[in-house]
Amino acid sequence: MSMIIRIAKEEWRLWLRSKVIVVAALIVVALLAVTSVLTINRVADEQSQRLAQQVEAEKTFFAQPDRHPHRMVHFGHYAFRPPPPLAAFEPGVDAVTGQSIFLEGHRQNTAMFADTKAAADLGGFAALTPASLYQLLLPLLLIVLGHALFLRERESGTLAVILAQGQSGVTLAMGKAAALLAVILIFMIPLILVATYSVSLGESGLGAFSIVGGYFMYLCVWGAIVLAASIILKQRAVSLGVLIFVWLFAALIVPRFAINASSAAIDAPGKIESDLVMLAEQRKLGDGHNAADPAFQRLQAEVLEQYDVETIEELPINWRGVVASYSEAELTKLLNSYAENRMSLEASQSRMFDLFGLASPTIAIGSLSRTFAGTDLATHHRFLRESEKLRFDFVQSLNEVHANELSYADDMNRNADAEASRRASVNSEAWQVLDEFRFAPDAAGERIGRATLSLAVLVAWLLASISIVFLAARKVRL
Amino acid sequence: MIGNLIREVRFLTKDSGALFWLALAFFLSVIAVSFGVAEVRDQRKTIGTLIEEDAADRANALEGQEDWGGAAYYAFHLTHAPPSDFAFAAMGQRDSSPWKHRVRMLALEGQIHEADTRNADFGLIGRFDFAFLAASVAPLLLILLLYDLRAAERSARRHDLLVATAGSPAQLWLPRALVRVVALSALLLIPLWGASIIVGTSPDIVFKATVILVGALLIWWLIVELVSRINASPSVLLTSLIGLWLALAIVVPALSTAAIEARQPLPNGGEILLLQRETVNDAWDLPKEATMTPFLKEHPEWSDHATLETAFEWKWYYAFQQVGDQKTAPLVEQYRSARLARDREAGLASFLSPTSFVERSFEKLAGTDAASMIAYENAVRDFHKQLRAFHYPYLFPDEPYDSEKLKDLPRFEP
Repeated sequence: MSMIIRIAKEEWRLWLRSKVIVVAALIVVALLAVTSVLTINRVADEQSQRLAQQVEAEKTFFAQPDRHPHRMVHFGHYAFRPPPPLAAFEPGVDAVTGQSIFLEGHRQNTAMFADTKAAADLGGFAALTPASLYQLLLPLLLIVLGHALFLRERESGTLAVILAQGQSGVTLAMGKAAALLAVILIFMIPLILVATYSVSLGESGLGAFSIVGGYFMYLCVWGAIVLAASIILKQRAVSLGVLIFVWLFAALIVPRFAINASSAAIDAPGKIESDLVMLAEQRKLGDGHNAADPAFQRLQAEVLEQYDVETIEELPINWRGVVASYSEAELTKLLNSYAENRMSLEASQSRMFDLFGLASPTIAIGSLSRTFAGTDLATHHRFLRESEKLRFDFVQSLNEVHANELSYADDMNRNADAEASRRASVNSEAWQVLDEFRFAPDAAGERIGRATLSLAVLVAWLLASISIVFLAARKVRL
Repeated sequence: MIGNLIREVRFLTKDSGALFWLALAFFLSVIAVSFGVAEVRDQRKTIGTLIEEDAADRANALEGQEDWGGAAYYAFHLTHAPPSDFAFAAMGQRDSSPWKHRVRMLALEGQIHEADTRNADFGLIGRFDFAFLAASVAPLLLILLLYDLRAAERSARRHDLLVATAGSPAQLWLPRALVRVVALSALLLIPLWGASIIVGTSPDIVFKATVILVGALLIWWLIVELVSRINASPSVLLTSLIGLWLALAIVVPALSTAAIEARQPLPNGGEILLLQRETVNDAWDLPKEATMTPFLKEHPEWSDHATLETAFEWKWYYAFQQVGDQKTAPLVEQYRSARLARDREAGLASFLSPTSFVERSFEKLAGTDAASMIAYENAVRDFHKQLRAFHYPYLFPDEPYDSEKLKDLPRFEP
């Protein structure tokens, strides 16, 4: 044990003497610090801004004057998705999806005004986040630090001395690993700070801890790969070249290749495309604005029988409200089935993308970190589902008001003159049917459960890379 | 010189490390280009289907309409921006900005911001297209090919001998590096040229793309050349070069983006929508003059036909839809000009980073840059104007409804 610590200490002494390494480490530290502070501030701003917008949207809705309830269905409402606490570390798909959605009757809108659409375009890596630094930059730093970790002893001839003294290759490798592990632990500090901060914002301890654990595993995978290369390869420049290639492959090429492949393999139609298919079906359902549409004849017969009357004028409820409510429910069923289909296709694209994690630990940690942070595609889909539920609930509540609190005669007569249209309105107190909407990240346990695949892939990487180090270290000869 | 080059080509064919990087470059280029071609084909096919289904849906919606207002209300019109014949090389903004819409005669601001984009993960991670390969990966491959030309000879202790016998260093290092740069460029470009011939890209664009790629590689060669004159071990050289690559390819663009976005704040897009919706919805409760006065200011030609007799009339309905757009126009203009300003500044900032410069130039050639996406939006706005110009002469003078005349509905031409 003491031998391992001595080897590790010696390694650190050499690192601290090397200007290249000290400068590189300082640059990475500075980048991490700046990026973290910027991202934390931006996310905090967005968080409070969107919460304020949500409250404002509710206030505006409640403040609407007396009017026809169906007008409120079209007046609509907004749902905002504030970033979860861990978005300060991993903003994820937030910038791409848009964070607000307009909710109205008879339509499911898309989330609008994504940041990336209006971003200054400077190419592929233009947005740096703390998470992307951990995913891309820290492995490079480990490569720079460690590519000659073991090789150095070979080059300087000290390997022979150490082996002759009776120390095994494994002990030596463990000493080097301890040195690298200390580096990794030091670089975990910024992440631990951000994670602690996120706990103060309401993130659960488990969520914060698991994202720290995930990145620790990821960096250990890279540490082991670096160490293995330095044991197996015999020349410094070759070791560095090979490791740079591995990085290039894992961090730049495979993730984008995986996007190409999963988009080519699974065709998820866009909204317009699936809407057009749906519209043909929708026409069969009839138009909710037109209560005389033949599709409603059957409904009419049923309702008349239920109330035991002959004509819709005799009904104690407003027939137009009944029709609006019925057709909204039917339409929503249809809209949801298409939306679910689209989302499940996207989810299977993302699952296929995750499987490419077997070729690149960077993919595994990326998915893991977005899922743990609650900024993944699945969370966006949950936002779409929950805002859809909000939409359906307030539209149907308004339709209920329409059916129960407005007489059919007044309703039919609403366009005759100013007085008639005043009679065809309901008291604005009815607008209180709108539910308060606060989108919240799901429980940490659920997020972790969703990341099982990526987690398993990452653990497999860790086991495989550590085994290679051991196997290589055991075979060390001169 | 020729002799030197032939000698270096012979050396290169025996250098397995260099051959590996070159083969990788070719392989990656083939992959990037073929995925690009497939994606463009896919998008064209999607547009083809959409055009057909859109026409069928419109025909169906117009059937049985009894007035101009209803016809305008129910008829949607597809607008789209087809991928250019060079889009296979740079998908650019097509993954994050919408390139297809279905619009109708209602307030446009409620429709044009709809984003029919793909899986969010795609936009986040990005595609492996030729532009990315040329801008980000090719310089790394070049660094790996060139960094140890001198240092390897130094490690092998041949350096001084070689320099002494070569006469001038130019005869030694120049041909050696030149052969590698030419080989790398050619291997990257051959798949691009092949695909361009297949899809019929105009030679002019292919030539420009070639110049950009070769120019960028020459700049990176210069950087490598300057750094590798330092008398240091190959691994220190490679470390420094990778550091430079990181700075130029990642850090500078990220800092520029942050600075530009702070300098050019964007009005909150949600405000546009909010204002438009409120204007349109409030109009129902306001006296009709509140709608007709601002409308007639824009369209004095309909003043004689703007008297409203009943509580609901289509002309009033479409007038307040237009007033909704009119009211948001300043905000929309602010939003658009901020986007254009950001793009302009990003263009300037890209001179600081060869990576950004290459990617932006490719996007520009492919018509997938921010300016092209904004131009598409402008085309949608123009088309919407045409729709209004078509309908107003029927709506306002209360012309009798004639479905035959709808055959002349404006069509969107990309």
